[in-house]
Amino acid sequence: MRKLDYHRLGNFRYAVITLVGEDGYPFSVSTDFKILPDKKIVLQKPAQPSKLDGKRVNVLFNHITGLPGGGYGDRRYMLVWGTTHEDNGSLSFEPDTMSEWDEKILPFDQYCAKSAPQGAKYLGRLQASVEA
Amino acid sequence: MIPVPAWVRETFDSYLVCEFTTVKSGKPVTLPLLPFYLPDSGKFVVTSSILFSKKAENVRQNPKVSLLFSNPEGSKAGKHAVLVQGMAHADDSDLDHGWEKYLGYWRKKEPYIDAYLAEREKFGWFWKRIVVQVEPKKILAWKNGDTSRSPEVFGA
Repeated sequence: MRKLDYHRLGNFRYAVITLVGEDGYPFSVSTDFKILPDKKIVLQKPAQPSKLDGKRVNVLFNHITGLPGGGYGDRRYMLVWGTTHEDNGSLSFEPDTMSEWDEKILPFDQYCAKSAPQGAKYLGRLQASVEA
Repeated sequence: MIPVPAWVRETFDSYLVCEFTTVKSGKPVTLPLLPFYLPDSGKFVVTSSILFSKKAENVRQNPKVSLLFSNPEGSKAGKHAVLVQGMAHADDSDLDHGWEKYLGYWRKKEPYIDAYLAEREKFGWFWKRIVVQVEPKKILAWKNGDTSRSPEVFGA
């Protein structure tokens, strides 16, 4: 897995747990979290979903800062996939893969430039479907 | 259209970002996005540049999505958590102009967007945008954001 920076992770205020429910819809819920000295991630257990032991989930840590004139900046997020484990009312999260963006590390224009292959791929597929 | 209380509508209107989830091969993919709430239809719209188009591709494979409104930062609304589960449709029939009808909503949430638009040529592919419209099927709402309690459920 891409290395999870626990120091930067600790600067987020809350977490969003998401899993795919039995009805096929994604179910997201916000909750508090803390990082223990041994780097264990502990999530506050939400009322729903009621069963989270052994579930494959993603956890999004997202941050923006509102601007005085409206809108927002200081965008950053970490999206971490892994497994949740319930133990005596606490909910630990074992991460395995992640993706992230922090505009202070990768400015938006550079992020767009880095994503150009995805755009080209999309346009290529669209062109092919028009020609088919 | 699913009827919801005023505080839920205010959350939809004023929260600047939502956590938008698509499903890829059975796995959730959640990203922060700028949502637009269409009060006349009760539907939601997000737009996606082709640069970040994986979410639209996921929608084509599996239209079941969710939007969570949990972050009041930058809004004047109170702190709540509202989850919308719905069916999404991705429209890329007019990448250059299809999204422009939502500019009024966009401007309301990001007043500086016109400055970026003035440099449209500079960020050419950023402005090739797919419109993803979501029709809600179920809404779960936690007033005051207390998710340790069960949510109010609408439209079930």
